[in-house]
Amino acid sequence: MNIPVDWSVVGPSVIVAVGALVALLVDAFYPRRTWLGSGLPASAALVWAGFELFRLHDEIVPFTFALTLIVLAGTLVVVVASNVMNFENAMPPGEYHFLLLSAAAGAAMMVAARDLVTLVIALELLSLPSIALVGLRQGDSRAIRSAWTFFLASVVSTAITLMGISLLYGAAGTLDYAGLAAGLGDTELPDGVVAVAVVLTIVGLLFKLGAVPFHVWIPDTYLGAPVMVAGFLSSVSKAASLGAVLTLLLVALPTAYDTWSPLLLLVAAVTMTVGNLGALRQTNAVAMLAWSSVAQAGFLIAPVAVVTRSGPDAPVQYLAVYVLANLVAFAALAVVLRLRGSTEYSELRGLARTDPPTGVPLVMAMLTLAGFPPAVIGLVTKYVVIRPVVEADHVWLAVVMAVNVMLGLAYYLRFIAALVDRPAIDDPYRSPSPPVSIRISKAAVLIGTAGLVALSAWPDLLLSNLP
Amino acid sequence: MIAAALLVPFIVGLALLFLRKRVSGRTAASLGAAAMAASLVLFALVWDGRDEIGGEIDESWIEPLGARLHVGVTVVSWPFLLMTAFIALLCCVWLIAEDTAPALVGLVLIISASALGVFASLDLLLFFVFFELALIPMWFVIAWWGDPHDPVGRRVAATRFLLFTVTGSALLLVGIVLVASRTGSLSIFQTESASLVAAVLIVLGFAVKTPLVPLHTWLPDAHSKAPTVGSVLLAAVFLKLGTYGLIMLGALMLPREFVDVAPYVAGAGVVGIVWSALACYAQDDLKRMIAYSSIGHMGFVALAISTMTDIGLAAAVFGSIAHGLVTGLLFFLSGSLKDRFGTASMRAIGRGLYARTPWLAVAFVFAAVASLGLPGLAGFWGELLSLRAAYEVGVLDQPYAWTALGLAVLGVALTTAYFLRAIRLLAQGEPVSHEGDRDLAVREAVVGGALALAIVVLGLAPGLIVGLYDVPATLNGQSGTTYDGTYGPVER
Repeated sequence: MNIPVDWSVVGPSVIVAVGALVALLVDAFYPRRTWLGSGLPASAALVWAGFELFRLHDEIVPFTFALTLIVLAGTLVVVVASNVMNFENAMPPGEYHFLLLSAAAGAAMMVAARDLVTLVIALELLSLPSIALVGLRQGDSRAIRSAWTFFLASVVSTAITLMGISLLYGAAGTLDYAGLAAGLGDTELPDGVVAVAVVLTIVGLLFKLGAVPFHVWIPDTYLGAPVMVAGFLSSVSKAASLGAVLTLLLVALPTAYDTWSPLLLLVAAVTMTVGNLGALRQTNAVAMLAWSSVAQAGFLIAPVAVVTRSGPDAPVQYLAVYVLANLVAFAALAVVLRLRGSTEYSELRGLARTDPPTGVPLVMAMLTLAGFPPAVIGLVTKYVVIRPVVEADHVWLAVVMAVNVMLGLAYYLRFIAALVDRPAIDDPYRSPSPPVSIRISKAAVLIGTAGLVALSAWPDLLLSNLP
Repeated sequence: MIAAALLVPFIVGLALLFLRKRVSGRTAASLGAAAMAASLVLFALVWDGRDEIGGEIDESWIEPLGARLHVGVTVVSWPFLLMTAFIALLCCVWLIAEDTAPALVGLVLIISASALGVFASLDLLLFFVFFELALIPMWFVIAWWGDPHDPVGRRVAATRFLLFTVTGSALLLVGIVLVASRTGSLSIFQTESASLVAAVLIVLGFAVKTPLVPLHTWLPDAHSKAPTVGSVLLAAVFLKLGTYGLIMLGALMLPREFVDVAPYVAGAGVVGIVWSALACYAQDDLKRMIAYSSIGHMGFVALAISTMTDIGLAAAVFGSIAHGLVTGLLFFLSGSLKDRFGTASMRAIGRGLYARTPWLAVAFVFAAVASLGLPGLAGFWGELLSLRAAYEVGVLDQPYAWTALGLAVLGVALTTAYFLRAIRLLAQGEPVSHEGDRDLAVREAVVGGALALAIVVLGLAPGLIVGLYDVPATLNGQSGTTYDGTYGPVER
């Protein structure tokens, strides 16, 4: 078996992996334990990988380019916003950045993978450091428990995917995506085997994506993990899983459309409904976002279910906006948690008035996720994901999506109302000069918000250029 | 010019939200009134004859989706635009008082500007963006400035209002997507057929907003818990988003599909007329009663639209505008009463207002008889033309249409009955004085006078609106022409 190594495929992830090692070494030789120390080389590696990605632009398929860009940019936001953990003794910055960038390298490789072995390796490269990140905070038993949950979910999902992959290999005789597409088109193959293989392979990836019924680990893991790690899992990790599913279906399994499309349509409908119903009951912002990320996965899966008919543009565009809005929200919550020690709604009352640099971005992020003006981009991307579903004549799913927009607004608005409400007491947390590390995190929040505002004013910026 | 007419209220509204601590309530409301007055004048000037699109702007917006920044004034939207700007102007005048929150004025401006944007949009996605933009500000208006005696109830009412309308508008979005994917165009002037499902979804979306029975359950609570200006905007402007949508995106945009939906619209409308009249008769809370009466009036409009005749179109537009003015006045006056007595319960307010607060009582009785359809006032023509449209049958079956006509006439009688009951309970009888007895203040008199004048003018000269649509020709014998696309530049 000869797998060619193509720089245009692995280039960005190799650079990110090198960045991971540099971050670890910097921390080993200059052990001052500040977040900027190992964060700077990490950021530099991500930026360099980005440049390399743009240089390779013409050699990469447009949607893979877009997905890789989302992964790199998302990780960069996570790195910058993670400065908020400076002076937190239980969190070691060197290890943190090493694990984060390793996971990012895995994520970038996962969306670029064009054969099943690369996919599995990338999946592991993303999963194992992520598990360690969840449990990284020293002496935190909740974090360890969450890491265990996450570990078990990961192992199970990888095992299922491997099972499916081995069946696929047996059926088609190759691990290469292009070869699979040709091999599975062979009508001699028994339908049942192919169907089982396809379903198992996808189910493993859906597990990672947090689709119902494999979503139970998500709230538990997000609540136990450091907030920015939860942000990473809900954005970059989800983007990688979705990108992998998308690529696999589009490139390797187009002939099995009749097997996976109905399955994914159903999963999308159930996922968004269950996620939204779960989110309705939450009074903690992180828990709400965890459930909302389940619901959003449903919105992402819906256009993927018809991806061979309408192309990858719709899910990729929705993903880009979702990742940006979600990261803004998690970064703002990380700052809030640092300053106030809690992300309960009652603790956040009036935040948009007492601390506009974190409160207003949270409002904007919630409006984007809900798909409501003035966050026009959220509404436009809702339109974008509903369109392929309607064009494929699945109006019932479009109606389910419509009802879920309403459900989603119910809890996003509850949070928004708390944020802009009159504060209960004079804000005791405002410090006249917050440390530089917190200001850096706030800057990341504000830049992300500026992006959301710019996209709302000019949606063409995203829709014409990506992918 | 049309851009300025839309942007001025938006910008002033946003500025007031940001500067809410720097300006007094009186200044804020005066500024808001000035902005809406400017908008009203600009919209009046932008009119360019009924066969043209006044002040059209058509810029590229979201290229890959084919969505455009396309706005302009059509023969259907013009009356709606003027009425909305006029009502919003009066809301701001109403708020010229010391205890007004500047942020409330800001939200009122943003809500009104969004509604203006809906009426002016000629692109479906832009229409939808404006349609949604008004919702969250309205939630805050109801949930924060609503009934001060019931903080929990007003929040529940606001949330129910929002979730109902959002469900409706999400279905509307699916309908719009369906239209765009079938015809390849997001323009409001569609030339091809879309599909029946699209028409059903769009009609359902607007049916929640209008509202049509049985999707009306959000309305009584929202209207009665909202602050005065909120109730006025809900009744006069928000419900019109529904009727305008049914006219423009239903009957005019998808005429071939709407034919199949029309009988259901007519049925829901007529059931609403009778049902709401019976409900009104049982109400003690004045604001709830007016809220239920709105469902009846919207029933007449729905009946008119469903015939798809020229006269039906004129009746629908006239009925919408007249309802906006009359019910606006009723809600302003019941707001006055609620301010004075702390409640809108008719029993608690007590009898004999003619003696206790003569001008307020006269204004209320004037509004009530306008609402029940006294000839010579605006309310009359909307109902009469609507009944005439049902008589013309249009696209409905004749027995069906005439049954609807009979029920609607019954509704007219019931409407008269409950308004007379309200007049008897409030205005007439032995006066029992109350510490809250104060007659109209200047701002109340100005608002009431302006609306009363508009109601009389439209009542005496209905041709101002009806003349826009070839109805006189229809009335002179060429009966029952089905809508044929001759109004405005629909054939583009």
